[in-house]
Amino acid sequence: PLASLVRRRGCALSRTSWKRRLQSERCNQTGLRLFSVTCSLSGMGPPPRKEKKRIEIPGLEPITYADRMHFVPGLAKPQMPKWERGWHDPFHALGVKHEEMALYKEKPCYMFHQRTKILGGEKQALWLTKSKLIEGLPEQVIHLAEDPLNQIENQDDQVQKAISHARFWVTTQTEPTRDRFWKDLQLAYLNLLQEESLCFQEIFSLSSIEHKNLYLIFRKESDIFQVRGINGLLLNSMNPLIAVASKEEVQATETHVLETFSPISPKIDLQVTNVYEERNDTGFREGYPYPHAHTLYITDSYDANSKFKPEHLRAKMMMFAFGNALVRAKLLYGEQPKVLENPVVVQCVATDGRTFQFMVLQLNTTDLDSSEGIKNLIWMDQDQLLYDTAVCVPIIKKKVVQVPAGFSGYQPETFKKFLALYLHGAV
Amino acid sequence: MTPQPCRFLAFSYQSVLGCNRNSPCICAPQPECGLFTSAALSNNNPRWKQRKKYTIRPIGMKKTGGRDHTGKIRVHGIGGGHKQRYRIIDFQRLHYEPGKQDNPFEERVIEVRYDPCRSADIALVAGGIRKRWIIATENMEAGDIIKTSGYIGRMAVSAKEGDSHPLGALPIGTLINNLEIYPGKGAQYIRAAGEYMSLLYKLSCEQVLEMYNINFAAVLEMCMATVGRVSNIDHNKRIIGKAGRNRWLGIRPSSGLWQRKGGWAGRKIKPIPPMKNYVNLPSAFATS
Repeated sequence: PLASLVRRRGCALSRTSWKRRLQSERCNQTGLRLFSVTCSLSGMGPPPRKEKKRIEIPGLEPITYADRMHFVPGLAKPQMPKWERGWHDPFHALGVKHEEMALYKEKPCYMFHQRTKILGGEKQALWLTKSKLIEGLPEQVIHLAEDPLNQIENQDDQVQKAISHARFWVTTQTEPTRDRFWKDLQLAYLNLLQEESLCFQEIFSLSSIEHKNLYLIFRKESDIFQVRGINGLLLNSMNPLIAVASKEEVQATETHVLETFSPISPKIDLQVTNVYEERNDTGFREGYPYPHAHTLYITDSYDANSKFKPEHLRAKMMMFAFGNALVRAKLLYGEQPKVLENPVVVQCVATDGRTFQFMVLQLNTTDLDSSEGIKNLIWMDQDQLLYDTAVCVPIIKKKVVQVPAGFSGYQPETFKKFLALYLHGAV
Repeated sequence: MTPQPCRFLAFSYQSVLGCNRNSPCICAPQPECGLFTSAALSNNNPRWKQRKKYTIRPIGMKKTGGRDHTGKIRVHGIGGGHKQRYRIIDFQRLHYEPGKQDNPFEERVIEVRYDPCRSADIALVAGGIRKRWIIATENMEAGDIIKTSGYIGRMAVSAKEGDSHPLGALPIGTLINNLEIYPGKGAQYIRAAGEYMSLLYKLSCEQVLEMYNINFAAVLEMCMATVGRVSNIDHNKRIIGKAGRNRWLGIRPSSGLWQRKGGWAGRKIKPIPPMKNYVNLPSAFATS
């Protein structure tokens, strides 16, 4: 049918446009301006030349064509001193070798950053963070979600309106492109949260910050690990969140055995580097009034090149929530590994606008070196859909409507959980 | 193919060929035209293959159309086809991770997938902090654990499919694939879909005799081989169906020129070819 054809063509056009933009960006990075194909398709640049072996006979001096100033067959090639420019040209300057850098260390460091996709997914992240996974959200959060007092006025209408706005009304075209609507959706959800904040005075002690950089270094089983990079939008508070699990529950984690996945090492897919600094940085300056990380909002993009699979996304949530918690704990309780009296709690939400992943992390111990003893706790509520489909043009196959036009399958429970995590600690 | 109007060089061709300005200038590439004869042949260089570092990411290939670096046709019948990307296969199964030499190691299969560059399927395996592509065997599946060992013991090992051992360690009659013919060089034989070879008998402690169809070969016992049969065993049973599908695969039709049938046609009765000997011992060693 014509309608589905139009829809398909619209999608194809949008996809090619962002691909082309990516291509041009990547090709510029490699220094080869090839606009016809991506740099991965165009192959590599020229390989380094093989150095010819020079034969040196002691006591004999080779006769070169240096004084003739041109090539002469039979005479040796003269060896000239290396030409130096005499001034610093940033376009032709060779970088310093890693071995000669001031921060070079013999022992390698395994780095987790914002683009890392680890093979083991959640299991690997649980090993790295020394945590025990519990399915579902903690009871406190569930109570908050179920309480009708904590809801926004006309909550479902407002959320549906926000989704319809981002998916249907925002553009004059048939359909907004994917790379546009997911950003709109996330902004809309956060705006709804801000509306809610007017009802609760405690929420005024919250502040949100984007593009915050985290730098954490820790040791585990005689290896050095790093969690660093820009990690989504962070909601931070004046007062820390109170521990979610009771002391008995924390003690019970002592018997939990961390899962390993031999023959694969838990360090797989982490970036290995020998140049690193041994420091911890929360990303906040001293005296910042909102120093406690409350909730981390990670946005998953629709860009096929940078999109995370759900398991990779959950691993990223765990690692960055853990990073924010541990760096705060190190600042509060010192570098010495110990079991914390007041555990640090950080929450995390990851979404692509439609699917939500909710997580609460409680950091019980900073003793990560051994796999024995008390573990940290992670509550995970995964793959929660806010709505099923939202399409402008119905999807018709063999004259049967597969997906009707408009917005369908709204699940109010998901937004309640999203709101509950925001209100946690304030109500 | 009908000649297309040459837009960019319209003015120069009109002057050379005396075309009418009002009619579209139809001109085929002329050999005497300097612009065409000095065309860069960079498309035919194999630089995309020359990579220092191993990567599991697919690499873009450039199509040669059967031409070599001088631009002349080296292989007939190649051209066009779907875009393909090359995945670097580690044919050296006994490739130790740095710092873990001389220990047998295990790897887990993460994925078994189609490879456009070969008839067999390929498998992504991970072990330690390393991932690599290898040729998949017949029953290999994601989640399998495969073992690689360079140790030759007094007893033959009971290897399962996908494991890799030196020939000297395997029992007689084992089906093998991905055979090295020189120790440490990497597998060169029996890599195509559905192929296998059986270990026939051992001549001495240095030589191992193999059978492949009716060919015999003697190789050193240190040569590594993978146990089992190469994957995609029904590769020879696929139906191409139409001429166009061969074009998708980058195979062009043959020329169609009539040629008289020669000695190559008709029934042949040939003796079994002599045994190939890859046991090239150093001459000083052989004479002593």
